[in-house]
Amino acid sequence: MKQILFSLLLGISLWGYGDGAIYWTPHGCDEGKATASKHGGHGKGESAMFALMNSEENASARLILPNLSENNLTFTLNTVMLPKPPMGGYYAMVAEGTETNGSYSAIRYLTLHGRPAKVSPTKLTALPKTVLEIIPDPLHREHDRYTASKSYRFLLHFRGKPLINTAVTLETYNTPAQTYTTDNKGAFSITLPNDFKNVQVGRSENKPSEFLLTTQHRDGEHLYKSTLTMPYSLNPNDYWQSQTYGAGAIFIGFLGGLLVYRRTKKGAKNG
Amino acid sequence: MDKLLTVTALRRVVQLTAFVFFVYGAMIFATFYTDDKLTQALPALSCAYDMKGGDYCALIPLQHQMDHRVSTLFTQNAGVMEALMGTLITIGTVALLILILNKAFCGWLCPLGFFQEAITMIGTKLGLTQLGSLSRETVNKIRPIKWFLFLFLVLLFPILTGIGLLGHEWGSPFCSICPSRIMTTAMTGDMNQIYISQANGGYFALSLIADTLFGLMIALALFVTQPFCRICPILPMQTLFKKIGLLRLVKNGNSHCDSCSNCVKACPMDIYEIQDQAENRNITHSDCTLCGRCVEFCPHDGVMNFKYGPLTLYSSSKEGFKKRTKIDKWWKG
Repeated sequence: MKQILFSLLLGISLWGYGDGAIYWTPHGCDEGKATASKHGGHGKGESAMFALMNSEENASARLILPNLSENNLTFTLNTVMLPKPPMGGYYAMVAEGTETNGSYSAIRYLTLHGRPAKVSPTKLTALPKTVLEIIPDPLHREHDRYTASKSYRFLLHFRGKPLINTAVTLETYNTPAQTYTTDNKGAFSITLPNDFKNVQVGRSENKPSEFLLTTQHRDGEHLYKSTLTMPYSLNPNDYWQSQTYGAGAIFIGFLGGLLVYRRTKKGAKNG
Repeated sequence: MDKLLTVTALRRVVQLTAFVFFVYGAMIFATFYTDDKLTQALPALSCAYDMKGGDYCALIPLQHQMDHRVSTLFTQNAGVMEALMGTLITIGTVALLILILNKAFCGWLCPLGFFQEAITMIGTKLGLTQLGSLSRETVNKIRPIKWFLFLFLVLLFPILTGIGLLGHEWGSPFCSICPSRIMTTAMTGDMNQIYISQANGGYFALSLIADTLFGLMIALALFVTQPFCRICPILPMQTLFKKIGLLRLVKNGNSHCDSCSNCVKACPMDIYEIQDQAENRNITHSDCTLCGRCVEFCPHDGVMNFKYGPLTLYSSSKEGFKKRTKIDKWWKG
């Protein structure tokens, strides 16, 4: 009963996102995310519970491990609980569903801690996972994170090949949808918005937000929709870090060095 | 062509190649993911904050291991192997690399070392009076700083952070002040590492030190050789294994060496000990970067030698000395 209520609450709070396409989002009642998000590195802020929004009854989900093997995920209503990670590195959660003349897919990448898989993360992103797929190019580095005010590049593939001149929509909780178009290589770049509210000083005091990329492509009568969701963090340089003061400190240090030069030159002259 | 063929010329080519690899390598040779790095434990200041870098320095994993693993010995009663395995792998990798190239990681491969040398070259060409050698007294005062940085910023503070006695900002304090973090990221066009943090007193102090130190290092490098290298905590780490290094500096002084001090004057780290009498002895000092200048500027046949295992790679000679001095005069104008 409690879970049904939570799912209902979560569904209502995110109502209207994704243009009806399925997408992954951390489950609201997973406290692990808030605790883990206080630190960077492997497994940073990763939830163990995810909800598949807008999902149909026939949706299926699987987890692709860093060594590219796959495990099926089982839904309880629209929620999946991830198993304990058997290895460290990037994981991809993939959900797929169909309806009359339509296919839906959703992808989300996670970094989880464990013994290294010894397989290059590039292989996970390069692996075709769904017919229509938004691919991070590259995915942020293991110890890094998607950050507001920074730009990131993605590729759009259909049946493993670049899809050109296609619209992709970026949505976040606090910024209206923006549309990007893929170039002749099927690539597009987005700048994540600085749209955090009630910001506290210190990165660990602020929970990551979520961004959602949605795209669709019609192939004959069949409509394909695909999404990619990932967390993103605020950029300290937008708030409590000053780059201007940083440049000023470098300049002061430089002047200090020149003063030393002047003194040593004087000393050398005086013998 | 032969006139320009010197150890220093060869070193510059190697340094430039290493700089490109360590600062931009992920764009050319490998992917930028941590999992794809060559070693993740280089005994040279190639920074992990540089997302386009080819590999990164041993100090960042070491600090993280102190913070997240070694500290669990005190907080979670973790098993010794569980707590120390990561550190042992990092130190083992460093030991293996030192065995192969010893301290040449500093003089031949470190991007920050090359950056400082490039600035010194600019200072020379700008006509700034070069400070020659620092006095023995000054050198002796500076030397303990690198041990302080290694023991406190690389080992102790991260452990205390892991235990919970210090704030999170002290989890990797050396990286927070390291000039290589600012230099390598700026070289790739990423200016995000230049900042003053107002998050709390600790972050503020570390960011202020980092930026000021970076500016100071650039200004000092215009007229002093290797200003940051003299306090770099990589040196103590290398020192732990320098005895096993196959590449080494061997002095065979006996009657040939007349203690002319040319070697000390040529040494960018002002190691006065290399002029001491030694008979066929490994004189690779803790501060030595194996740059080879002392071998080039020694006017006596066979006194200073670069050796790799039993092989002599390069020896000092009258001819070599004449050639090197001539080039030096030409360079300094």
